[in-house]
Amino acid sequence: MAPAATKPPTPINCKLLLIGNSSVGKSSLLLRFSDEQWLPEDESSATIGVDFRVHKMEVKGKKVKLSIWDTAGQERFRTITSSYYRGAQGIILVYDVSNRESFDALPRWFSELETYVSDKVVKILVGNKVDKEFSRQVPTAEAEAFAKRMNSLFVEASAKTAVGVKEAFTEVVERIMDIPELWDSTTPGVGKSSGQMPGGTNVNLAQENEQEGSGGCSC
Amino acid sequence: MTSELPYAADAEVSLSYDELEVLRIQYQKELSQGYVTVQTKFNYAWGLVKAPIREHQVEGVRLLQEIYRAEPTRRRECLYYLALGHFKMGNFDEAKKFNALLMEKEPTNMQALSLAQLIDKGVAHEGYIGMALVGGAAAIGTLLVAGLIRRATRK
Ligand SMILES: Nc1nc2c(ncn2[C@@H]2O[C@H](COP(=O)(O)OP(=O)(O)OP(=O)(O)O)[C@@H](O)[C@H]2O)c(=O)[nH]1
Ligand SMILES: [Mg+2]
Repeated sequence: MAPAATKPPTPINCKLLLIGNSSVGKSSLLLRFSDEQWLPEDESSATIGVDFRVHKMEVKGKKVKLSIWDTAGQERFRTITSSYYRGAQGIILVYDVSNRESFDALPRWFSELETYVSDKVVKILVGNKVDKEFSRQVPTAEAEAFAKRMNSLFVEASAKTAVGVKEAFTEVVERIMDIPELWDSTTPGVGKSSGQMPGGTNVNLAQENEQEGSGGCSC
Repeated sequence: MTSELPYAADAEVSLSYDELEVLRIQYQKELSQGYVTVQTKFNYAWGLVKAPIREHQVEGVRLLQEIYRAEPTRRRECLYYLALGHFKMGNFDEAKKFNALLMEKEPTNMQALSLAQLIDKGVAHEGYIGMALVGGAAAIGTLLVAGLIRRATRK
């Protein structure tokens, strides 16, 4: 699996992570983006643990291979999903504009991020379900201000109508491409260095994954 | 715009030794205190099923079966990980059976549909998603054990 032999147009690998409360529409956004599909409301299932998609696209003249990890929002899967933060370059935080609670939960999601990923990682806040304008509970301006404070990009979207979906993913990837240290292995990494171990055990888990031929992109 | 199918994320990436240890220690601790919470048991079973070692997978499947019997509210994820565990061990008939039970209840569950395709292909190849995809300099040094400790031990 070492990409060593194939040289020139190898795509840049990019890992994105979808997080946020259950039912806000993370899986629906991903399905809309990667397959241009929409499942009727009663046919979609809550994610079990984590789901995954590979998606190829071209951004700013660069070929990018996205691996998108769609985590389960249900509390019972939190331990499981926390193991997937490793190596993410972009984080898509989703809430539901018609559900105040999902917005109020965001500080908790941001503090998860603080624990697991470098602050260089690109974040975007996505207010999903704007098609439910009539039952909106989170004003756009409020969410926008919050995103700004949290150093995140911001967009409102609807997996149902496809509004804003492509934009959300594209914006994250474009921003990542602007920061070579996130994907170019020849520039210094931005990994979270040791220090924040509540448990005290200090183990570097990155090594074993790095040697698998791919550390960084193979661009 | 293309996306590649099928996939089963949890079948591909195993935990590091230390990550699995965190889950195991929590499980052993509760076991020795006489009461294991479903969450602790499930977390450990999940870690075992993901492991590359067969004895681990067998033990994981055993724990999942216990949870399945005891906890009706956890059945859907148990079915999924039971299918996944058997798939990884190469027991494709068993894998199919559990996955079919899940699909009976959730006929449009994309994860189950995708796993069904993998099982049909009948090869439990290791690491086909591969670390190649995970790449990126940002990966360096993230301390997952920290989070797992926090998570696994929180009540
Ligand atoms: N009206 C409307 N409904 C949506 C939209 N996106 C998702 N939904 C519905 O919201 C419900 C939950 O969607 P999911 O995509 O499964 O939510 P999730 O965030 O993946 O949930 P977990 O996997 O449990 O974390 C489903 O019934 C979807 O059909 C949207 O843009 N508009
Ligand atoms: Mg989901």
